[in-house]
Amino acid sequence: MKTITCLLALLATAIAAAPVGTPKEDCCKEAPPPAGPISARSIYQLDAKFCADTGQCLPLATLRGRPVVLAMFFASCGYACPRLVTDMQAIRGRLPAELRDKAAFVLVSFDVERDTPGALADYRRQRALDGAWTLLHGDQDAVSELAALLGVKFRREPSGNFAHSNLIAILNAEGEVVHRREGLSGGLDEATQAVMAAATRK
Amino acid sequence: MNRRGLFALLLAVPVGLVGEEAARVVKMLPIPAGDYAPPLRAAGEPERVAVAAFLLDERPVTNAEFLAFVTTQPRWRRSQISPLFAEEAYLHHWAGDLELGPLAPGAAPVVRVSWFAARAYARWAGKRLPTTAEWELAAAAGFTRADGKNDPELARAAQVWLARPVPSILPEAASARPDFNGVRGLHGLVWEWVEDFSTAMVTGESRADSGLNRDLFCGAGAVSARDPGDYAAFMRLALRSSLTARYTTTALGFRCARDLPAHTSP
Repeated sequence: MKTITCLLALLATAIAAAPVGTPKEDCCKEAPPPAGPISARSIYQLDAKFCADTGQCLPLATLRGRPVVLAMFFASCGYACPRLVTDMQAIRGRLPAELRDKAAFVLVSFDVERDTPGALADYRRQRALDGAWTLLHGDQDAVSELAALLGVKFRREPSGNFAHSNLIAILNAEGEVVHRREGLSGGLDEATQAVMAAATRK
Repeated sequence: MNRRGLFALLLAVPVGLVGEEAARVVKMLPIPAGDYAPPLRAAGEPERVAVAAFLLDERPVTNAEFLAFVTTQPRWRRSQISPLFAEEAYLHHWAGDLELGPLAPGAAPVVRVSWFAARAYARWAGKRLPTTAEWELAAAAGFTRADGKNDPELARAAQVWLARPVPSILPEAASARPDFNGVRGLHGLVWEWVEDFSTAMVTGESRADSGLNRDLFCGAGAVSARDPGDYAAFMRLALRSSLTARYTTTALGFRCARDLPAHTSP
């Protein structure tokens, strides 16, 4: 019963999109670590490996247990991608303080050739992205499969740039896509609420 | 190997066939290097794209071969596949998880498979899916000449097929007439997945969205094509652009490709 009350309180908080959490939230903060088989709708079923800008190579399932805000991008992109990153920062800024570091902010590059882990590390410095951010490089297979799972279309242009759909996906702790923010305008409140809802569900 | 011999071989090794063995059953034929002219291009994209020589399966992957795959790879069975990797109709015409049944003859091309499943099969067989450019290069061969552009029989075969409904029981994959390269069934058997199907509609103009204006893809779009023989190519482009990776349809199968040994990375 206490859990239900707490969930309701959190839900109310989520709907109001209040930036400051209520004390009651403490009861739900310590979710048990996820265990058992990966859910049938989880993108963590993808067994492809990605390498972070820190040099660590890991399956996506490493992100399991946290809400995730994920976008595909490429570092040399001059138009849409900087806006995607800015929007993800805005989502983070709207989250209650205790969620800002609990949620993972993940960027996966389309540009398998140029966006090496080293190039991504440069990008992290340029954009001053802190430890909540994970910047991932994958091989062509891994990137194609992830894009297909998310419904992101992309294509390399002769210039070396990529035409791509603009998507910010919100994943719950199991890696299930619970919200999609498509395009480049609006939808930040809804995306923020989706992260908060994903964080409160067990 | 003649058709009967191939079929006998398929019957002889139905289950427990591992990837490499399966890969050996289908003959792979070299497709000479050439170029591909995409029916639609992004601004600044060259009119023709060079395609390196590669190996292509002689025919589409069959039900029997796909059965061998799901037998050793349970997660791709009908009852076990994740809804993320295939929609509900996946292998719907099979009698069971590991039973083909009357609607899916062993030698007929496997259909109702998703891009994820086709890719997983190809990887299991030590191969890959062909790219759009590779597939279209192979499909540009005529029946009796290397360049099918001026082969009226080829255009007719493609158009007759497009005009006909798909039969509920597909013919044997190896029964299709071989083209100049010896490849069977590129026209007139099933539609086929390609690795980069999802790029069909993405152009520089669609950055803010995932699709190009649909108006461009009505059949009338082919009227302005350089060559009415391109009609089938337009239809394939339209089909690819309408797919998503988990779709499974009654006439959509696949075949595998491989780099030529000289191009294989160590």
